[in-house]
Amino acid sequence: MKKRKGILPWLFSAMVVLFGIHVAGAAEPGAATEQAAGTMTAPTITIDKTELNNGGVIKVSGQAPAGKPVYLEVWAADHTVRANRFDSEKDKDSGKRPYVFYITSEMPAYYKTFVPKDLQPKIDAAKKEGKKWSYSALLKDLGADMAYSVPAKAKIDRYQSTLMASVVGSRGDLLPAMDEKENRKRSMQLVKARFQSIDKVVAALVEVKPDGSYTADIKIRDGLAPGKYKIVAVVDKKVKSEAATFENKIAFPTVYLDNAGTSMNLIYPFVLTLVVAIFGVLMGAGGGFIMNPLLLALFPALPHTIVAGTVTPTVLFSQGSGIYNYSKINFISWKLGSGIGCAMLLGAFIGPKLTEMITLDQFKFAFGWILLVLAALMLWQTTPGYLAKNKKEQSILKEFKKRAEETAKGKK
Amino acid sequence: MKVEFWGQEFEVNMVVGCIGGFLIAVMSSMFGFGGGPFMVPLMTVALRLPMYLVVGSSLLAIFFSTTVSTMRHYQFGNFDLIFFLAMFPAALIGGYIGPQIAKRVSPLVVKRVACAGLVLLALNLLGVY
Repeated sequence: MKKRKGILPWLFSAMVVLFGIHVAGAAEPGAATEQAAGTMTAPTITIDKTELNNGGVIKVSGQAPAGKPVYLEVWAADHTVRANRFDSEKDKDSGKRPYVFYITSEMPAYYKTFVPKDLQPKIDAAKKEGKKWSYSALLKDLGADMAYSVPAKAKIDRYQSTLMASVVGSRGDLLPAMDEKENRKRSMQLVKARFQSIDKVVAALVEVKPDGSYTADIKIRDGLAPGKYKIVAVVDKKVKSEAATFENKIAFPTVYLDNAGTSMNLIYPFVLTLVVAIFGVLMGAGGGFIMNPLLLALFPALPHTIVAGTVTPTVLFSQGSGIYNYSKINFISWKLGSGIGCAMLLGAFIGPKLTEMITLDQFKFAFGWILLVLAALMLWQTTPGYLAKNKKEQSILKEFKKRAEETAKGKK
Repeated sequence: MKVEFWGQEFEVNMVVGCIGGFLIAVMSSMFGFGGGPFMVPLMTVALRLPMYLVVGSSLLAIFFSTTVSTMRHYQFGNFDLIFFLAMFPAALIGGYIGPQIAKRVSPLVVKRVACAGLVLLALNLLGVY
């Protein structure tokens, strides 16, 4: 008898320990929320495959409490990208423009919420607002804001921009970190800044039956980040399923561009650059100004900052070889070139900062007008008056060049 | 400022040149192109310099701005190495093939094609179609 009594506390403590382990193990979203929610059971989730080759369709199904809408939160777990936004919109209350620059490097490379099918009309209504749609308002309208969790945790830095800071090309002063609620709000704006269109962040695909079982054919488009993706079914703020994981695989020549956050078949930009470079030589221009808009138009997944930042060094080398060729025959006025060059140094210091601060739409708008001006310049260069003058100029050019070449040869 | 080039002396209005160069540099570095097509008209039309002086010198000037803009873009993390490696060899090959084709086509036709292409691209960016 006495022995038995001795065992009981042991058994009890063992149970406590076991229970403790159980609770600790349940720190994963699913089980923990199940307990917190009390009466409502967490939805289950199963997916029909765990591997995709550069996109594809995944069938998701499961059981949720009857009569509840089911939201699926899907995100890329292995890759994050940068997202930034410059807030210069007038504050409704104070009428002041904040000029604050928000940036995070922890935005998932893919993030999308799938909502029940019957919510499609609400998405359509939001699309009618055009480019001014608000992600947070849309989520709220769909009831999906409670399913919004992953980007909310991204660490966002914010900088107070000033005119002076812009002139010297800095981002401005780093402001103190935001609280959780503010971070969540700003992260929603960054989601929009990063993914641009409604179709990329929400889709009405989940079919929920009256008994609470649900199915969804989730289409993962091509050109996305490789690696693990996670899907969580959400019924309420704290009632979530376990995360189902699948892997997106890509194979060469499709390669993931780390900074751009998209995968891409490398043959396309190669061929495109080849054609543009040849054309650029024929036209007598670097080709950067054709390359940029073409890339933007053909690969909408590429962020404009990456396009501008990567085409620039490509152009650099063709300029360098041009300079080398001219300098061989001493055909460059170093004084004139570097004189104007110094003024251009300043301008080039500011430019890339501005690229970062404007949105894709502003970028496209400004670039569109620049191209129109350029087209007008080109057209002017084909008018008879210009041609007559140019012919004379070209013959003088040829003559001088010949003389320069001969002198260069003579020196040898 | 006076510039001497192959035995001739030219008077250059540096104020106009520098302001124009500055604006072109902001624009070209912002949108990631060289700026040559704007620089040449600036120097020939606004500064009234002859073509043979402009061809080399404008290239040098935009080389300055492109170098700095490359560094700045890199600093801001706008540069993607793999993407660059896909484009760079193509640009080199293009630069090699281009001049050989150039002898056989009329620059006038090329310019008109370019003009039409630019307008199409511009309208695409502006969202007209």
